[in-house]
Amino acid sequence: MKNIAKLKPNRRNFIKAGMATSAALLSSTSLAQETILEPSRGPGRTIMEMGYYGDRSEYATEARLKGNRGTGLVGGSLTPLQNMQGMITPSGLHFEVHHSGVPDIDPSEHKLIVHGLVGDEKVFTMEDLMRFPAKSHFHFLECAGNGMGEWMSPRGQNVQQTHGLTSCSQWTGVPLKIILNELGVRGDAKWILAEGDDGARMARSIPMWKAMDDAILAYAQNGEFLRPEQGFPLRLLVPGFEGNMNVKWLHRIEVSDTPWWTHHEVTEYADPRPDDKIRAFSFIMEGRSVITSPSAGMKLNGPGFYEISGLAWSGAGTVKQVQISTDKGDSWTDAQLEAPVLPKCHTRFRMPWTWNGQETTIMSRSTDDTGYTQPTYSEMYKLQGPIGMMHNNAIQNWHIAQDGEITNVRS
Amino acid sequence: MFARNTKIVITLAAVAASISLSAIYKATAAEKYGFGRSLGEAEIARYDSDIHTNGKGLPSGSGNVELGRETFELQCALCHGENLEGVPQMGARSMHEGRRDIEKLPYASSLFDFIRRSMPLTDPGSLSSEETYGLVAYLLNETGVTDNPNLTLDAKSLADIKMPNRSNFIIDPASRFTAEDLEDK
Repeated sequence: MKNIAKLKPNRRNFIKAGMATSAALLSSTSLAQETILEPSRGPGRTIMEMGYYGDRSEYATEARLKGNRGTGLVGGSLTPLQNMQGMITPSGLHFEVHHSGVPDIDPSEHKLIVHGLVGDEKVFTMEDLMRFPAKSHFHFLECAGNGMGEWMSPRGQNVQQTHGLTSCSQWTGVPLKIILNELGVRGDAKWILAEGDDGARMARSIPMWKAMDDAILAYAQNGEFLRPEQGFPLRLLVPGFEGNMNVKWLHRIEVSDTPWWTHHEVTEYADPRPDDKIRAFSFIMEGRSVITSPSAGMKLNGPGFYEISGLAWSGAGTVKQVQISTDKGDSWTDAQLEAPVLPKCHTRFRMPWTWNGQETTIMSRSTDDTGYTQPTYSEMYKLQGPIGMMHNNAIQNWHIAQDGEITNVRS
Repeated sequence: MFARNTKIVITLAAVAASISLSAIYKATAAEKYGFGRSLGEAEIARYDSDIHTNGKGLPSGSGNVELGRETFELQCALCHGENLEGVPQMGARSMHEGRRDIEKLPYASSLFDFIRRSMPLTDPGSLSSEETYGLVAYLLNETGVTDNPNLTLDAKSLADIKMPNRSNFIIDPASRFTAEDLEDK
């Protein structure tokens, strides 16, 4: 009673205050007279001090993790999945990979040339492209090399290092089929070449069926123009296909009857198999999931309730089911999928869990609406050899020690 | 009276507008949006630098192993190493092994296209056609695909090279293409 004025207002102290009120009534002393309210914070920053483009709080410090090869011109950054909430990745935290740095392109000078096996060969300005009917879609984008460092043994210290080459945005642009139909595609056309206007003129062959299905010439991401590292002012989006095919700074599309077998499709992003064959044109990022919380680098603060939460996605369709094991894979329980659950899109899953304080390993596995279930590493090794570390979508295990420390383990 | 006349005029104008708008809409939908500018062949040629597997797109000129060796030492060795072993500090991995093994490429056109498109890293597009032909000749010789110190490549001879690993590429069925679809014609 005598100390009540010094108590900070939090939940527990409100309860104490309630008890004190009863005591005060009994002693017929007015509580109001004795309670000193916490002083107001006072005025904050004025509107003049606020930016024209909003900044986050100085206390929100989650950041991409940069990686580069030598010069930094071939490099990228990873999304801090351990800090992400919901299904959308903020544009400023979207992963990036580039092969000759990030070009600085004036959109008023940018052109898209479409030529080859089409009726009309044309050049479009950004203004031209933005006059066509547009569409917005939510889609994940994942680098085929996401988790390549994990292929032979667990190395990443946290889920950003193991899985940070996937992100999810709402993309807006012109459906590519509108442009191709506008120009008229010849019957023998089976492939397009998508080429970027970066220093590397990054180029990939894309099947015509994909171009005419759900490919988008995207100029916006999460409601605003693309970020430079995401291809400003124009990128190709081929939903569910490996990140590298979603060519950034897109400036040329050639229509042809055969694929080009470009450097990236025959070396970096092809899959060497155990029998020395090389799997080419493995475009689709297949079903995958990972628990983002709790995950490696975190520490559980003693036994009790924890929500297990993570992300699942499939480049082949829609996530149908995510199962979680909290006992090293012996038993599996369905997690709840948080709406909206969309095709070729990150899906947030959640499951309540009470940790008993014993050492264990937790993991998730996803199944998509084609019936494909995420494989284990031993299943994946049968498909891809020791240097076939691309398209790694194996189940991820997190070990929880008795002291609550969480680490990246294989089994 | 004045007000009434105005009302009639506006109504008529609205009807006229709706007729002409719907006519325009139908014409647009049936025909084309018409945005963009048509391109002539000369303009396309300025941008159309890619090489097809059958050699379409290869420029005129030629280059031999010796020119390739000189060019490699000047332009490439700093990152790729004197013996193609790669200089990790510069970000280049070996061209002899792993996923960047030149000898395992399916087409020589893939190599020519990539060098011309993306290399050297700090000044892409700066190599002449002769230097690029020479580099391909030098690299094929160094990696054992060919064994001819006098090899000279041009558009025809480069397109004629059969890479030994071509038949080891298998096509992911999810691409909706088969090996037969992608056989060389």
